[in-house]
Amino acid sequence: MSFEPKILGIACNWCTYTGADLAGTTRLQYPQNTRVVRVMCSSRINPSFIFRAFQLGADGVLVGGCHPGDCHYNTGNLYARRRLAVVKKILEFSGMEPGRFRVEWISASEGNKFAEVVREFTQQIRELGPQTKFKITN
Amino acid sequence: MLKKISVDKISDLAARLMDKGTLVAPVREDAGHNFRKITDAGQVDLGYYNTLMSPKSVFLPQKEDFVTYIAGRPLEEAKCIELNPEPTFLFGVRPCDVRSFEIMDIHFIGTGAVDPYWSRRREATTIFGYAFDLNRPAEPTDFYTALGIGAADPEGSDVFMILKGDELLLKAFTAKGEKILSQMDILSESGADDASYFDQTVADGRSFKTRFINIDAQAVAKKFEELFHNAQFWEKVSDGCLSCGVCTFVCPTCYCFDICDENLFGGGTRRRVWDACMFTDFTLEASGHNPRTKVYQRLRQKICHKYSYHIRKYGPISCVGCGRCTRSCPVNIDIFSIVDEALRA
Amino acid sequence: MATSFKQIEQNLKNEARALLESGRVALVLAYTRGYDDRHPLPYTAKCASDADNIIFNEYCNANLARYLVRHPRGTKIAIAVKPADSRAVVVLIQEEKVHRDDLIILGIPVLGMKNHKTDEIIDSRTTGGLYNPVLCDILLGEEITGEPIVSPYDVLAPYEAMDKEERWAFWKKELERCIRCYACRKACPMCYCDPCFIDLDKPRWGEKAPGPGGNLMYHLTRFHHLAGRCIDCGECYRACPVDIPLHLFHKKVAKECEEMFGLAAGMSIDEKPALVDFRMDDSDAILE
Repeated sequence: MSFEPKILGIACNWCTYTGADLAGTTRLQYPQNTRVVRVMCSSRINPSFIFRAFQLGADGVLVGGCHPGDCHYNTGNLYARRRLAVVKKILEFSGMEPGRFRVEWISASEGNKFAEVVREFTQQIRELGPQTKFKITN
Repeated sequence: MLKKISVDKISDLAARLMDKGTLVAPVREDAGHNFRKITDAGQVDLGYYNTLMSPKSVFLPQKEDFVTYIAGRPLEEAKCIELNPEPTFLFGVRPCDVRSFEIMDIHFIGTGAVDPYWSRRREATTIFGYAFDLNRPAEPTDFYTALGIGAADPEGSDVFMILKGDELLLKAFTAKGEKILSQMDILSESGADDASYFDQTVADGRSFKTRFINIDAQAVAKKFEELFHNAQFWEKVSDGCLSCGVCTFVCPTCYCFDICDENLFGGGTRRRVWDACMFTDFTLEASGHNPRTKVYQRLRQKICHKYSYHIRKYGPISCVGCGRCTRSCPVNIDIFSIVDEALRA
Repeated sequence: MATSFKQIEQNLKNEARALLESGRVALVLAYTRGYDDRHPLPYTAKCASDADNIIFNEYCNANLARYLVRHPRGTKIAIAVKPADSRAVVVLIQEEKVHRDDLIILGIPVLGMKNHKTDEIIDSRTTGGLYNPVLCDILLGEEITGEPIVSPYDVLAPYEAMDKEERWAFWKKELERCIRCYACRKACPMCYCDPCFIDLDKPRWGEKAPGPGGNLMYHLTRFHHLAGRCIDCGECYRACPVDIPLHLFHKKVAKECEEMFGLAAGMSIDEKPALVDFRMDDSDAILE
């Protein structure tokens, strides 16, 4: 049985989550490995979510937010951009495979982009294999 | 019974002990020596002054699991983790640390409520005490002689070891000690002058000097009682204290713990972990009130517990002068200086 | 040519005495003798005669900025700072934990501080590599010039050169040693949160006991919480009883923040810490 990645998706309500809805209503096909959690804004994302997700066994984490300049709350994603960039650097320096964490700006009308990103990311994680470095094994 | 072994054969002795049970001995690590369960007899390293962490973790591990459970399942299905320790040999414990076990016994066995985890481990363990090297001056942080502990004090050890040149003398002081020494055929019989050398070293250990002030338990307990409300004294001595908790973790006589349920993946474990009265939230109550919000209140608690309350309730001072707290303190707070200042206040 | 430690000590005592006598400050944060000369204690002088107890020598490494938040806001405080410590004061001012006007900063230019455990000279390998404070009211010695400027990030080169498997093996081994004593947290002037995230129960971010779970959560999150705020004093490393080189990871995060956001922490009170700020034209490339 081939490896089925477990991917945590965190999507902002106004843009990415709506975009994901659009992908659904337009019947676009994409792999089912990504479990999406909705947040009101990408800046709600606490960096600890991502570290803990990997500890709890996520093979990949995908964050989606509004395009910079288009945040529903004006500036949220601008803070998130900096914050998540630091998360990426920390993961990299700790030795985690860089490809396991990805941030994309996906707007409400970009249903296609959502599906494409999920397809690409799932394939990338499939190739990277199961995440074992941070995962807690009791 | 007095035996001996050449120092370069220590790993052979270690291997023999490992055949009989679990061997816990000092191992050289990055930051210093520490007591570890030995998997490779060659790891045992007696070339140290004292270990970084105290050996209390042999009897009171920093993390100890009691019960495992699955979320949502009936209580009856929870599993208690049984503790049946195999015979353990705790090798190379300095006299001050051996004394700490007796003090800790008061809390885990002596109050009427016996802690089975502590007591079973104590029963299963044979302690090989190890004299300080009297040719080497004591570290400036140590003050165990002020607490009545000799540098070559065999009290509390099942077997006590003293270095004699390139040989290690081992003498049994209890039935447990006699038993294991008689089983160690790698040991040689002691020579004619070994017995007198042993006794002489124990005696010399009593006059060996560390930092010293006259600490009479009753006097110091009373002094700290008088000083309790003297905020000026406590603020002064706790001036630089970070209230971090390192001192508690390295201390052989600190035993506070927290019991918590930690869940993961739909199941969980009820476990005991070390806690520290120095932590800011140690006395945080469910209401949100915290009676010890200031650093000086927490440091006062720590010192008064050791040098006042413990004496009133149980008799001995809850400190063995090993110096670890002072060595590890990031800002060089020194408990000996505080006791000294209190006695002169 | 740097002012001698003895001279700096004298200047520090004199300034402290004068400030306390005149009532310009309620307290002076400095150092005093500990149980021996190599182990100084942080010290709060509250009256002019206390100034006699002040010392300064090559072992006075404690970052006194960590004590600023202990005093009620509005307390007038004079604080002795070495270069990295002065940056800590700047960050605390930026974060509005202290007012600039409530402080008299006694700057100490340093050359030759020593680690009391190893007697090694403390340089840009374990600290920020600056010789002079970035902000001060009174300089207690001659400004140091002509010394080589060594990047505080040079020490990262061997770790950056490792491939990710080696680096993971390195950090896994180092963080395994952690006994969760929290000396690093308390030694850091920027860790003033009450409660700290790791002490929370709802939610429980990391296991209380030492182990791969809680240790990694605690440290990685702390590295993130200090991003753009860590001023590279190296006290976390010196406070650690088991010698975990935490300062290396903090340096790496500081280096990345400098490169991505164009500023180093704690250099000017008019700036904001990097993660409390943004630019519209921050490049998306930082997320690659």
